Amino acid sequence: MERKIGVYICECGPNISEKIDIDKVIDAVSLPEDVAVVKRYKLLCSVDGKKFLEDEIKKQGLTHLVIAACSPKQHEKTFMEVCENAGINPYLYQLANIREQCAWVTDDKDEATKKAIRLVKAAIRRVRYHFPLEKKEIACNPDVLVIGGGVAGLEASLQLASSDRRVYLVEKTSSLGGMVDNFEKTFPNMQPGSNLIKQKILDVNKNENIKVFTDSIVEELLGFFGSFEVKVKAKEQDAFVEFDVGAVVLATGSSFFDPKQTPQYGYGTLDNVFTAIEFEKMNKSGKISLKNGKTPKNVAIVHCVGRNEKGYCSQICCMYSLKFARYLKEKIPDVNVFHFYSDMCIPGKSQQKFYDQTKGKHINFIRSSNIEVTKKGDNVQINYSDEDGKANNLPANMVILSPAITPTSDSSQLAELAGISQDDSGFFAEEHEKLNPISTSTEGIYIVGSAQGPKDIPDTLIQAEAATGKILSSLVPGRKIEPEVKVSHISESFCIGCKNCMSVCSYGTITFDEEKKVCVVNEVICRGCGNCVAACPSGAATLKHFTFKQLYQEILEAV
Amino acid sequence: MEEKEIHSDVLVIGAGLAGIEASLLLSSSDRKVHLVEKTSYTGGTVIKFEEVFSNMECSTCMVSPRQQELLQDKNINLLTLSEVEEVKGSLGNFTVKINKKARYVDLQNCIGCNACFEPCPVSLKNEFEEGLSERKAIYTPCAGALPNVPMIDTEHCLRFNGKECTACQEACMFEAIDFNQKDEQLKLNVEAIIAATGFTLFDSKQIPKYGYGKIDDVYSAFEFERLYASNGPTEGKLRLKNGKTPKSAAIIHCVGRDQKGYCSSVCCLYSLKFNHYLKSKIPEMEIDEFYTDLCIPGKSHQKFYEKMKETGTNLIRFQDINVDKQGEGITVTYTNGGKKSSRTVDMVILSPAIEPRADSSKLAKILGISHDDYGFFKEEDPDVSSVTTSKPGVFIAGCAQGPKNIQDSVSQASAAVGKILSQSGDK
Repeated sequence: MERKIGVYICECGPNISEKIDIDKVIDAVSLPEDVAVVKRYKLLCSVDGKKFLEDEIKKQGLTHLVIAACSPKQHEKTFMEVCENAGINPYLYQLANIREQCAWVTDDKDEATKKAIRLVKAAIRRVRYHFPLEKKEIACNPDVLVIGGGVAGLEASLQLASSDRRVYLVEKTSSLGGMVDNFEKTFPNMQPGSNLIKQKILDVNKNENIKVFTDSIVEELLGFFGSFEVKVKAKEQDAFVEFDVGAVVLATGSSFFDPKQTPQYGYGTLDNVFTAIEFEKMNKSGKISLKNGKTPKNVAIVHCVGRNEKGYCSQICCMYSLKFARYLKEKIPDVNVFHFYSDMCIPGKSQQKFYDQTKGKHINFIRSSNIEVTKKGDNVQINYSDEDGKANNLPANMVILSPAITPTSDSSQLAELAGISQDDSGFFAEEHEKLNPISTSTEGIYIVGSAQGPKDIPDTLIQAEAATGKILSSLVPGRKIEPEVKVSHISESFCIGCKNCMSVCSYGTITFDEEKKVCVVNEVICRGCGNCVAACPSGAATLKHFTFKQLYQEILEAV
Repeated sequence: MEEKEIHSDVLVIGAGLAGIEASLLLSSSDRKVHLVEKTSYTGGTVIKFEEVFSNMECSTCMVSPRQQELLQDKNINLLTLSEVEEVKGSLGNFTVKINKKARYVDLQNCIGCNACFEPCPVSLKNEFEEGLSERKAIYTPCAGALPNVPMIDTEHCLRFNGKECTACQEACMFEAIDFNQKDEQLKLNVEAIIAATGFTLFDSKQIPKYGYGKIDDVYSAFEFERLYASNGPTEGKLRLKNGKTPKSAAIIHCVGRDQKGYCSSVCCLYSLKFNHYLKSKIPEMEIDEFYTDLCIPGKSHQKFYEKMKETGTNLIRFQDINVDKQGEGITVTYTNGGKKSSRTVDMVILSPAIEPRADSSKLAKILGISHDDYGFFKEEDPDVSSVTTSKPGVFIAGCAQGPKNIQDSVSQASAAVGKILSQSGDK
């Protein structure tokens, strides 16, 4: 079919018409034969303007469209819709920004007009090399895989199931409940930890929409948003259970810094030096006592263990250390507690009250640094520098260390399995720290709870609920998913199999075909970032709608 | 058997980041959303900031794609200059009355060229710029506000005060100015409500010892954000009231913490951001950060702090502090461990606590939910969920529930949507 390009220049009221000599632009771009029509219009984005364009496309029998107007940020989509309504492929159109890039950046009308001519010519030259791109639709599976049976995984599973989604909940240990199961009480309300999970576990177990796998791990996870294939293996068994899901929630929790790595605290070498989790368990067993069975009189709680080594503040340690003081007071009313801390970090609206209520006659706070725990007779001694840098010491019967929150030991393995990245500290990395904190670089895989970073129970629950919001709003039963159209393509005949592209792809889009020795793009997962195109040494990788030819032809006129 | 009408539309109150996130998510699940915003623009408080901690990302660049998406979303009915007046009914069937003030500028016809501003004869202090610059009676709060359509302030517009003036109308090429628009009362039926009305900052004038409002060059956090903003009153130039470039500054944390009775969780970090702002504009500047306890929770913030330390900033812990004008400079007197010391600086920036908006208890009453001791919307139980309230079908998100950072605000908005979509199942 003969190519007929229509060029329409928007006056944008006075915005463009007063700064650019539009008639001059029309004269300058009207020459080439395939430019069938060049016209100006008062305001193309208006209802009348859009109607005018639609009629023009049909009347003139246009095959390609160039609009010279404002920023594509504002109206690229508007004119794509016009193309679709008029029956031409929306990718056979190009927008030249002569408002923000010409009219609004100079008072010199000649300069603005000259630049506008170049930009419009560049758009015409480019649009000749455009080819139609078609939207694709794929069916989606509304079911969800949840990995991790702690409070976050339980919450996400129940919410998803109540919306009639089938949920597969995979837990690596033999029981559901996770970390919270260890806590007699939780801050700041001092309610039993079991309150949080007992009912949830009962509900999960009796919910027909939830299939629970304990003592199991996810062995394989392949595919993309809307269509993941999962293989789950029970421990000490060879057989797999296989199923398909549309989305995955990673709620694999966190671990604690191992104080043995910081020998100055005496952990593992001195008696009666406990970690936070050991103390939680001891408290839950009903009796707080020393190794010799006696009741401690003086207890030191050391905050920030491993903070310097890990390089971040774990956010909840000050609060759980305060909770330990409560535990101690409840079980041993005349005990003396000494908090060794650097900065009291108790963020949020309900925490200060908890701190104020915990402070009391026998609960002491010592701002300190350079802490060292040594043996002193049958007891221990805490050596420290006080606020003025002076060396000081304090004898105690028992020391509780409050270590930093860390990623679990298998988090790298899980990240690799799910094809997502980890941050510098080893936690799962979010797609965007602020705007998309539970999404990852792989669409359809969500990270919730302390696997994403240290946080308390309310924030963990919020993230689990947030993942539900993301999943229920994007994976709608019966609805098709529309993947990105402007994606990368690797030419089989040009590819030399160097795999450069695979190392720069953030989305796990590219695989290597061992038989043909070439890289292959999965167009469904590709987001069109163009990294692979830049990295390809043989020119095999191209990005649709941003091909070398399209960009080169555009630049020829623009510069 | 009684028949009950069930609606599936959702009302979102507040078009800040949390409200935008909730609206977009609901829309993508094919829900119709009525997004009610009190001001004339979207984006909430975050668009006041030039950059956000800790990666110092450009704030408006981060938010504007979301705002654009919102404005183009056909499922979202954005009602600016609107407030919720009355709520009746229960989960599945709320009837909501909304007062929608006239903008007097047509949202469809206006292209945001701003040609109407100059001819307007009225000038007054711009509230969005903390009074640091002037605006006209027809105005947008700042360059880049979205929707990029001005409003007429009828309290000050001559025409609405008995005088004949059509200056703005004459300047408009698009017949966008319509003096005949009327305030409207809308009645909506919705299934559920999300209140995401944001926060404000503690008023430092309540504590005279900081000198705020009395001493020149003592700024509150919001004022300083606008002074630094490239679309703000000075286009980002940091100057003292006398026009000189400041050589030294004190940033004081925890303003109003004792009065409020909680740690606002973001002030240490935004104070460190201010340090970065100052150093990036005036690298040789001497800066004192006065703090009590450094609270920088979370996996990505310590590095930001370490980087700040490398710039040679003085970190000074204080128990008590006082700001006074003495001669040319401003004297900050403080005690630390019983010792009294002082520093003289050119400017002081106060970092006040986050507090609920003045009208939050009124809105709580309209919604039939309770507020906590501090005036924030009260969650049902943080161990159950921080976004559900005592009233089924009414959810809360963002800083209206309590002080928090952007990440946690956005997560709460997604969580509220999760609650709504899972409660009602798939329709």
